[in-house]
Amino acid sequence: MKVTRRDLLVWSAGAAAGLMVTPVPWKILDDTSKWSQNWPWIPQPARVPIETKQSFCTLCPKGCGLRVHMAAGWPVGVAGTATHPVSRGALCPLAFGAHQLNWHPRRLRTVRHGASDSSWQAAQGAFAQAAKEGRVVVVEGYPGRAASSVFETFAQKHGGRCQVVLGSESRSLKPYELWTGVNASSLGYDLENAKTIVSFAAPLLDGWGSPGQFTRLWAERAAGMNDPQLRLIQVESSLSRTAARAWQWVPIREGSDSAMAAGLAYALLEQKLVPAHGPVPSATLSAVAAETGLTPDAIRESARTIVAKTPVLVIARDENPSVAALNVLLGSVGARGGVVRVLKNERPVLSADQTITDARAVLIDASVPWEFNPQTSAEVFRFAAWDGGGSREDWLLPAPGFLEDVVDVPTAPASSVETYAVAPALVKATSEVKSAAQFLGNLDSTLLTSEKIIQTRCEDLFRARVGTLHGREAIRVSEVPSVEKLREELWKGAVWTGDASPPGRLRCELKEWPASAAAKTVDDWSSEWAAPVLPPLATKLYIESGLREAPQRRNA
Amino acid sequence: MARNTFVFGLGVAVALLVGWVAFPQALYVKKHQPLDFLHKTHAEKSGLADCNECHTLREDGTFAGLPAMEKCAGCHSDKIGDSKAEAILVENYIKPGHETPWLVYARQPANVFFSHAIHVKRAGLTCTECHSTYGESDQVRLYEVNRISGYSRDIWGHSMSRLRRAPHEGKKMNDCEGCHKRHNVEVGCLGCHE
Repeated sequence: MKVTRRDLLVWSAGAAAGLMVTPVPWKILDDTSKWSQNWPWIPQPARVPIETKQSFCTLCPKGCGLRVHMAAGWPVGVAGTATHPVSRGALCPLAFGAHQLNWHPRRLRTVRHGASDSSWQAAQGAFAQAAKEGRVVVVEGYPGRAASSVFETFAQKHGGRCQVVLGSESRSLKPYELWTGVNASSLGYDLENAKTIVSFAAPLLDGWGSPGQFTRLWAERAAGMNDPQLRLIQVESSLSRTAARAWQWVPIREGSDSAMAAGLAYALLEQKLVPAHGPVPSATLSAVAAETGLTPDAIRESARTIVAKTPVLVIARDENPSVAALNVLLGSVGARGGVVRVLKNERPVLSADQTITDARAVLIDASVPWEFNPQTSAEVFRFAAWDGGGSREDWLLPAPGFLEDVVDVPTAPASSVETYAVAPALVKATSEVKSAAQFLGNLDSTLLTSEKIIQTRCEDLFRARVGTLHGREAIRVSEVPSVEKLREELWKGAVWTGDASPPGRLRCELKEWPASAAAKTVDDWSSEWAAPVLPPLATKLYIESGLREAPQRRNA
Repeated sequence: MARNTFVFGLGVAVALLVGWVAFPQALYVKKHQPLDFLHKTHAEKSGLADCNECHTLREDGTFAGLPAMEKCAGCHSDKIGDSKAEAILVENYIKPGHETPWLVYARQPANVFFSHAIHVKRAGLTCTECHSTYGESDQVRLYEVNRISGYSRDIWGHSMSRLRRAPHEGKKMNDCEGCHKRHNVEVGCLGCHE
């Protein structure tokens, strides 16, 4: 029998069809996927017992509690600490993959000057020269740390100043500064004790504040574990993820937050739902209705709903005096479940300017979001652990990466609980990195190091004898036998929490209703916690989280 | 037409033969353990009736896995019998102080975290539910390693089709998910991949 070309083709077709019902293609697909995980150039953790250490996330100022799984001295996994009094075990996608960040291809490992590599000596020489010639402005992102003290001391000694790039949570508290005389960084929102929360587009269920704080509260409410009467009313132009999960969504037109706040105030006073003291908004309900797209009756109804369950807390997405004034009208400033004073002696912080004209050098700490690029003619020294791309700085200086440096974690922005923790250096840096505080310390040997300042803060906490230390078990600081023990506990991952200050110790005086701010484009809040780079684990989660609606994408 | 059907069928038959018979033979390499350890003998002669006596959980709840050489040396610092396996153990590993390079049937990739403590203590699973009656066996199984992935055949399971396999056969993620589903226990991605 002669074998023809046609026979070969038919046989091949039969073989191909037959192979489909054998394990060959499916098993090879499965095995090659595993084979690709084990290519020799892919770092593999050592096969040793996994050790778990407690620490805190320092990628943003919220300082969530971390359990870091370590293998042979290297972190191989990150999970949340369920006993952390604020984050309560929740983490953002970035933190879950943070142990991979130190190996990111965009990790900064060398000093860069312009487009070329340079050295630490050259950078320090250039900065010292600039500091001699003129004013130095230090910009940082997480105020209240030991490093912040180093920056402030350096700026004071050298005739410069220290500025802070505030997040939207802190900015939303700015209006109260003027009315209470207490700076915004000392204030917080008492979410735990509020019965009704009115959010003006603040993404409370989408990463706002400490990721676990309100999300957990809302989940527990849904599960009937805490007060089922807790209400979240989301006033927002689009059905965001928070709006979708809120108790009620009040859709208003984009940019009409201030008008809506004034309208609610008007309706509250008109219906005598709140005591008539303080200023009255000039806007009429019909004008507000025209601006917000709601009917006057709908605004009146919203006002009645808001005060049905008290205490009421109103939160703005950003700095918005009209929304803040609503809290004053509702008597929520200085009250339980409202805006409370958290810190007693916090020094005021200077918000960073987008334009810096009077400086010879600008030093930007690694805690400043990558997106912050001041317009300046000064020489810019930027510290960063990862290169986010498109850098316009004169000097780019490699900072310690994830858990490569000892960092203290003060109270999170807008938190109602005063906390202090220390994130120890669990990982050895694989290249020569320096924090901005170490850099300044090398220039001025009289500056205290961050470690010494943390030590002093531990001593202060011990001497004050107030608050509770949340380690393996919660103990009162007054029961801690020595400062060494307190320091040891903090270094092991304990969190100190202050005693809640009694409400009513915050005087608030509002002389006139704030003028409605012109509708401005609010920055995409999600960019504030955007890291310059993402670890592989976070990429998919983070891209999905990027699908959340940003203001500029709404109503397009 | 009949010729085409015959040739097509021949192609299918050859593919089936290759896929179901030759491919598994070629895919897995059979390896012997460094020495013949007999669970049954140890259980009978030494009274080690409980798996936990050698495969312990550490104080922090993590699983110690295979016993370290020290544990074996507790009885076998010198030969106490006349078996070939014991001679290998004493001469090649205990006396020079080397760990026995056991080939681990259930070894998982590094990105998987499996807690024996949770499954044994909290869920109350017995060892046999995942490891069958290997603890009572009187012979050593061959270790079959996948040429491509580098993992043991126990992960996929002995049956290439993975159909009608016993609960202890297979340790892939699908198997974990199936067991959790049967026991109505929900675990998210980070339960195992934290």
